[in-house]
Amino acid sequence: MENYAELVNYIFVASNTSIAAELKFIDFLVILCAHWVADRSAGRIGGLNPVNGDSDAKNLRVKLVLLGDSGVGKTCIVLRFVRGQFDPTSKVTVGASFLSQTIALQDSTTVKFEIWDTAGQERYAALAPLYYRGAAVAVIAYDITNPDSFHKAQHWVKELQKHGSPDIVLALVGNKADLQEKREVSVQDGIDYAEKNGMFFIETSAKTADNINQLFEEIAKRLPRPPPS
Amino acid sequence: MASDLSSQSPSSDEEEEESAGQKPKTAVNANSIDNSLDAIENQLSSISFNTPIDERTAPSDDHHHESESLSETAMNSIGESSSSRRSGLWTSNLEVEVEAEVDGGLASPSSSGYAGERGSSGSVTSGSGIDVVREVRDNGSSMGDDGAVVLDSSEAQWIRGKRHADEDDASVSWRKRKKHFFVLSHSGKPIYSRYGDEHKLAGFSATLQAIISFVENGGDRVKLVRAGKHQVVFLVKGPIYLVCISCTEEPYESLRGQLELLYGQMILILTRSVDRCFEKNPKFDMTPLLGGTDAVFSSLIHSFSLNPATFLHAYTCLPLAYATRQAAGAVLQDVADTGVVFAILMCKDKVVSLVGLQKASLHPDDMFLLANFVMSSESFRTSESFSPICLPRYNPMAFLYAYVHYLDVDTYLILLTASSQAFFHLKECRIRIETVLSKSNVLNEVQRSMSEGVLRIDHLPVDPSARSGSLFHLNQRRPSETVTGIGGPAGLLHFIYRSIYLDQYISSEFASPISGRQQQKRLYRAYQRLYASMHDKGVGPHKTQFRRDENYVLLCWVTQDFELYAAFDPLADKATAIRICNRVCQWVKDVENEIFLLGASPFSW
Ligand SMILES: Nc1nc2c(ncn2[C@@H]2O[C@H](COP(=O)(O)OP(=O)(O)OP(=O)(O)O)[C@@H](O)[C@H]2O)c(=O)[nH]1
Ligand SMILES: [Mg+2]
Repeated sequence: MENYAELVNYIFVASNTSIAAELKFIDFLVILCAHWVADRSAGRIGGLNPVNGDSDAKNLRVKLVLLGDSGVGKTCIVLRFVRGQFDPTSKVTVGASFLSQTIALQDSTTVKFEIWDTAGQERYAALAPLYYRGAAVAVIAYDITNPDSFHKAQHWVKELQKHGSPDIVLALVGNKADLQEKREVSVQDGIDYAEKNGMFFIETSAKTADNINQLFEEIAKRLPRPPPS
Repeated sequence: MASDLSSQSPSSDEEEEESAGQKPKTAVNANSIDNSLDAIENQLSSISFNTPIDERTAPSDDHHHESESLSETAMNSIGESSSSRRSGLWTSNLEVEVEAEVDGGLASPSSSGYAGERGSSGSVTSGSGIDVVREVRDNGSSMGDDGAVVLDSSEAQWIRGKRHADEDDASVSWRKRKKHFFVLSHSGKPIYSRYGDEHKLAGFSATLQAIISFVENGGDRVKLVRAGKHQVVFLVKGPIYLVCISCTEEPYESLRGQLELLYGQMILILTRSVDRCFEKNPKFDMTPLLGGTDAVFSSLIHSFSLNPATFLHAYTCLPLAYATRQAAGAVLQDVADTGVVFAILMCKDKVVSLVGLQKASLHPDDMFLLANFVMSSESFRTSESFSPICLPRYNPMAFLYAYVHYLDVDTYLILLTASSQAFFHLKECRIRIETVLSKSNVLNEVQRSMSEGVLRIDHLPVDPSARSGSLFHLNQRRPSETVTGIGGPAGLLHFIYRSIYLDQYISSEFASPISGRQQQKRLYRAYQRLYASMHDKGVGPHKTQFRRDENYVLLCWVTQDFELYAAFDPLADKATAIRICNRVCQWVKDVENEIFLLGASPFSW
């Protein structure tokens, strides 16, 4: 889907097929993305994965994607982790933002996270493959005060199990843990679902910084290490 | 010409925040949406035409006459004459302008639903697409139970803010708003409302839809309905209907242009592929797809009264020393050569430099909509982003990908590509661009120009011998001046110069007494009216227009190469004003390589 004309052409083709009979806008985007996937597997390099040149046993570079419903606090989690800040004013993400942060582990290795903070708005849902393709880690977030966001998180888990890299590390994050009095998703529900799906689970608060660093440290520990050369 | 404009009273105005006063009401009874079509039909069948029916089938002379009446002045006079006709049972006036759908030189067989109701199926032959204007009176007081549109002068106030999402069409505050914008689907589902919650306005939406469909089914298109002081302007874009209800006295053409931009902004976010969703499911609900974009639309609507780009259809550059802009252009060009479709460096709504791949051309409206989208989406300021966007004039069917990065508080870089995979390449490009720009001091110069405001009317060279080819020496000579300047010579208050060939405009900095928002808005509205009247196809090309009212003397001068809009003190002398306008044009020419982006890049629009 490199080519502009091709893209346009593709849209027109999609409109004439019988598959398109029930085509919703979202489906349409999914088709576009499928096309990109095909495009990629046809041997294109680069894409939204940084060139993985300088990753070695001591210094890992890791592509991480954050997914989840709009408003669960993905951007706040990343900004807390990367900049140590929390800005309570809502800034709905457009498309996706890219940030990176390096952490040092106790075993004196470092992990550089290259983070795609995706937009949770519905219109971008079908673009997600663009960002999670080739990701070593997917963090799927929900808001503990919002059961709908928990269900949405489960959809993302299923999609990643189907279409993500086979060895992807999945983390389930219940955010806004500071809002205990408004809690509507119990800790146990989170634990149970994560366990069933072989995921790492943690509750965080971007507001208080609770468990934010732990989230990324735990992920780092779970990463498959390249064999020392 | 002069009398044309001076006869219009300046709008009393213009604070949209304030209550619209005792406007005729367009209240809507949404209880019986199911019946609303029937009801409207009944209602319309009882409407009597002021304009004799024969006129619609009359020869082209009459059509010409009618199309002229679309011009602003004539519209006003229609408004006046109809109010003077108001008497007895007629509690308000409803004027409907219907655009005959011209297809192969022939309008649709039954020219309008209205016509049908009147027992006439006379078709309108208007090969040149002349607008048929009909005036309709409506006895609004007796229609309340029908679920139809009721026009009655007792209450009717449109209007106040999206900020109050709890409002609906029953709220008094909602009706007091001066200017409403609605978007709805052809099945009547609300898509967007400037004020109030879309879902609560479902009934109102259904009524608007019924009006539009009713007329469209007759093969015509509603363009404009007048109800007392209110204008209701319609724009139909496939399955999407856009409506503006306003009592701001802006010309029809301006409001329609605003609806076009509103539609364009929607397409920029979603592409026109949404049309297909409606083909598959007419009841498709589009609102979720626009989630989180309220700020984009409120900022857009805000700029309708504060940004001349919205009616000039041109973009503006930040004034910069020639070498500075060249430096920026050169590094952008390098990047464009690596497959970037457009590379745009902007400071707020002003272009610093802009480069396009080969023959690719960027329409000023697309640029405006893109800049509005970026500036009003706060998340772009937080970190570098990569997002699909569609340029409606470039290709409404496809997404491009925008890499967006703020280089400082006001200055941002947009790199557009057709490849969804290009992020890391664009990131590298940005790093290279940023390095070059800071080394060559471009970013500092940009900041300086922005904060100092270099094109100041008090710097207009009065004496031809004082002419200089640069704005920037001048500025260095007067470092102590404050940003809010004083007026120019001979009562010159402000000007806008639009280069037709470049699709760019430049406006002088605001000086007292036009320093407040309200004064600026009022001036832009005056320019907007001038622009509309100068571009009114029905009236033919104007060359100059001179207009005096209690606020200003306005002078407009249109040639093949440029358009000049200038505002003077209301006491300014006409001959002197004309002389000053000549000087302004000379000045603009003298410094054109600092205020415009000149053909360095391969544009072809
Ligand atoms: N109390 C509390 N509020 C939070 C927390 N994290 C985020 N928020 C609030 O939740 C809102 C949304 O946060 P974002 O980080 O913008 O949400 P997002 O998941 O990035 O949303 P999209 O970008 O639309 O996908 C913000 O207004 C934050 O103030 C948290 O840990 N506690
Ligand atoms: Mg976000």
